[in-house]
Amino acid sequence: MGTVVSYRLEPGEIGDAAARAALGASIRELHRIDRLFSTFAPDSAMSRFRVGEAVDEVEHEEITSVLRLCGRAREITAGWFDPWAMPGGVDPTGLVKGWAVERAASILARAGVEAALVNGGGDIASVGPATRGQPWRIGIRHPWRQEALACVVELEGGGAVATSGTYERGAHLIDPFTRRRAGARHGALGSVARVVSATVVGPSLALADAMATALAVAGSAGVSVAASLVEAGYESYRISADGREEATSGFPFAAAAAPA
Amino acid sequence: MTRVRTAPLAGAAALVGLAAVLVGHSLENGPARLGAAAPSGTGGGSGPGGSSPPAATTPPAASSKVSGSASGALEQYGYGELSVAVRAEGGKIVSVTVTKLLTADQYSQQIANEVIPMLRSEVLHAQSAQISAVSGATYTSEAYAASLQSALDKLHLK
Repeated sequence: MGTVVSYRLEPGEIGDAAARAALGASIRELHRIDRLFSTFAPDSAMSRFRVGEAVDEVEHEEITSVLRLCGRAREITAGWFDPWAMPGGVDPTGLVKGWAVERAASILARAGVEAALVNGGGDIASVGPATRGQPWRIGIRHPWRQEALACVVELEGGGAVATSGTYERGAHLIDPFTRRRAGARHGALGSVARVVSATVVGPSLALADAMATALAVAGSAGVSVAASLVEAGYESYRISADGREEATSGFPFAAAAAPA
Repeated sequence: MTRVRTAPLAGAAALVGLAAVLVGHSLENGPARLGAAAPSGTGGGSGPGGSSPPAATTPPAASSKVSGSASGALEQYGYGELSVAVRAEGGKIVSVTVTKLLTADQYSQQIANEVIPMLRSEVLHAQSAQISAVSGATYTSEAYAASLQSALDKLHLK
């Protein structure tokens, strides 16, 4: 995926040895998923699948379940997340990263690890609460001040947070309706309305990842998407290129946080 | 349903095009702005008071307070090159210094000089916010290496 995944974990009662074993299994799962879903490797199962070539049963089941989640995300986001509208064939990459990190975290959870955070390029899945039953405090990276935070959010144990944006150099998101780079529809005058950072908090990191991607692409049209997300149980927060911030009313800003 | 913050995140809309600028300064008013001292072991002010560091890094320091320096990788942006060195004493970040700043032209240099003073408090703010992790759109390993999360991981500070 080209993404760095970092772990922090508190073994708890299972002890260090069992925790390390779980960590190893979790990392191997990430590599396995990467091999299966990589759209850069021409012989990966996903690459073969998208051009109609044969894949084995296990690969088929995994791909199908990911695409089912993609379908749900497409529906909730009214098509602003649409892997079937990507050039080159169906491309679930915008959801797979969150899905993979979620799978990696669930391995730790099943092993009985007391608490953990798995962070894959800014997509974060949590296991258990932070110390003393407190929610996790997660900083949201400032879109154009690299060492600063835009805000801090509180994440309940087991919850997920995903951030997507258009500020990383070289990164681009495709607008599924125009099939061009997101933001191209706005032109020069509309560029300040461009969403440079979108954060989604909710139970599933796979869906949060897709939803954040949709919000980053949708720009000002994201207001209605954000409302749909709330109905599905996901809160969101968007930062525009002109510095304006919008958040759904239940978005879990940490009480003591101050904006950058 | 949707709430809008009345105070804008940044007044300097013209600087949005600059990919990132890192800042350095020495503490002028002492460490009062920094968060609580790091507890023993590698646990941070929030998150689990854990004994396990992130898997990819070196083993935890034997002493309870971390001191040392870490250098960020030289990062190439659209307008120039930057690298940063982070210095910690007694478990706290005491300075973040720009060690190399090359700008493509005079305009970029001017922007960098204007932006740098505005960033000072925000670099330390991230630490004083006592966070367990950072969520952001980090698409590449290179970008991660230059990120705040990476610097925090290297220094075993949370």
